[in-house]
Amino acid sequence: MKMQAKMEAIFDLRNVSYSYVGKIDALKDVTLKINRGEKVTIIGSNGCGKSTLLAILDGLVYPSSGDFYAFDNLITEDVFDAIKDNEFRSYFRTKVGFVFQNSDVQLFSPTVYEEIAFGPLQLNLSMDVVKSRVEDVMEMMEIGKLRDRSPHTLSGGEKKKVCIATVLVNNPDVLLLDEPSAGLDPRTQLWLIELLQELGHAGKTVITATHDLEIIDQISDRSIVMGEDHSVKMDRDSESVLSDYELLLSSNLVHEHTHLHGKLVHEHLHVHGKEHTHHTNQDQKK
Amino acid sequence: MIPDWMSEVDANSCKCSAVNHGKKGFVGKTIDGILGFLEEAFISESFSKRSGLLQSLDPRAKLISILAVIFATSLIGDLRVLIFIYALTLLFSYLSKIDVAFFIKRVWLFIPIFAGIIAVPMIFNVFLPGDPLYQVAYLGPGAHLGPFSLPESIFITKQGLTAAVIFTMRVATCVSAVVLLFLTTPQQILFKSLRTVGVPKLYVLTLLMAYRYIFLLMDLIREMYVAKKARTIQSRGMIDEQNWVGGRIGYTLIRSLSMSEKVHMAMMSRGFSGEVHIMQEFEMKNRDYMAGAVAISLSLVLVLISQNVLRV
Repeated sequence: MKMQAKMEAIFDLRNVSYSYVGKIDALKDVTLKINRGEKVTIIGSNGCGKSTLLAILDGLVYPSSGDFYAFDNLITEDVFDAIKDNEFRSYFRTKVGFVFQNSDVQLFSPTVYEEIAFGPLQLNLSMDVVKSRVEDVMEMMEIGKLRDRSPHTLSGGEKKKVCIATVLVNNPDVLLLDEPSAGLDPRTQLWLIELLQELGHAGKTVITATHDLEIIDQISDRSIVMGEDHSVKMDRDSESVLSDYELLLSSNLVHEHTHLHGKLVHEHLHVHGKEHTHHTNQDQKK
Repeated sequence: MIPDWMSEVDANSCKCSAVNHGKKGFVGKTIDGILGFLEEAFISESFSKRSGLLQSLDPRAKLISILAVIFATSLIGDLRVLIFIYALTLLFSYLSKIDVAFFIKRVWLFIPIFAGIIAVPMIFNVFLPGDPLYQVAYLGPGAHLGPFSLPESIFITKQGLTAAVIFTMRVATCVSAVVLLFLTTPQQILFKSLRTVGVPKLYVLTLLMAYRYIFLLMDLIREMYVAKKARTIQSRGMIDEQNWVGGRIGYTLIRSLSMSEKVHMAMMSRGFSGEVHIMQEFEMKNRDYMAGAVAISLSLVLVLISQNVLRV
């Protein structure tokens, strides 16, 4: 049954900064809120802090300074890294699913089937429900034939699909995806976009870190642009972010040789001195 | 495309709240330790880039000087001389802009573990006879432990204690010299300088590569742990955790083997044929020769003192 998504903040970052080994800055003074049911992309060039921001949102690393609230609770190391189980951490982990950029680190079971069943087995669901969920997800992802394969023998695209399956099988309300389209062939990429759209329509909160400009307006309504100085440069609706060429250029998301056609951005290989023009009258005359 | 159960969204908030739940798990602590190592490597690297006395010397001169001092120190039996050399290492750490407190901590953290365990038994009369200093226990006549007969009373001996202190101090001084070398020389240059003492090129290359891939594999381990954390809804039993750790150790081994094959292939495709050529751009200046001469002279004096040719 679909539920109307309420506009309430599930994630709230207040002046969050993060630095690795106390020296290398990854995030600087980030303040933002993400509401339930929002579809957000975090965009920025390599090394601008997108992955770190996602890791903070998933309670995997903790701000060096500033506060991070999730579901109205302050998230700290003491709460999340304790040996003992606690109700809030279980609630958080059930609600939030994270698809990692590096598929290899996420897969640890002997077979694909067991890998997908790992999550629902922890949800205290009956064995029948677990089995039917795993079957449903494998069918949806079209990975049934990989069932008995060992995850490390899969191809890059197959690994990515299994990773997404391991997270979706828990039916989280919030999905965090780190560069999900990287390394996927065009058909799988399109399939992924459709999947994320459908999950978004179902009322899930979908937060995707990417630098693939072509998928942004298809999977998100709001875009957070991270600058190369590791701070939030712009936080607006996706459409207006995509049409702001200067902003994309200064954030190193497009190159000056990248062409814009309306909203569509693409690149051409060219030789200097022979820059081409697009669909000009002269071309047509030729 | 998505099954019905997946379109369900639970908008109810949690009635629970985030509270502190005590200690961290063993695996988590270990991973923190790994990160601590990375941090330490980072700090060490920053020391080696400072413009201090030892940093400015040619690594080959530094390596040979320090090896000579270590050799001489290992022959010294006089505590005062050992303290003097140890004080010298502290002075050099100061002149090389290394935080002296950090330097002392780094050295003495390992001494009690290794030297301590070896030195402690020799302070008792059970192992080394000598003049009694402090009685630990009275066992009475005819005491024995299995087939070994024990003395009537166990005490700490004066000679044993002196020998233990000298042994520990000698280890501390030698370790300080080595730590000083490591802290003031960037790793890759230090490895390259090993060529001067006859280490074959192939070993130097292996060391250089191993050091670089340690960081890569550590990062992999940290990421695997974080990814598991993200998917762990409730803590699992000890056996499950052990299974996970065992599985990951196996996987890391498989990964490192396949990576080493790929690295080798990448090297071959760039022209590697088993013959190693390492880029070495060291240049000995007058002050390097002078530093080497001073260190070797000091070592010679120390050797003469140890052989009672010179008296202090």
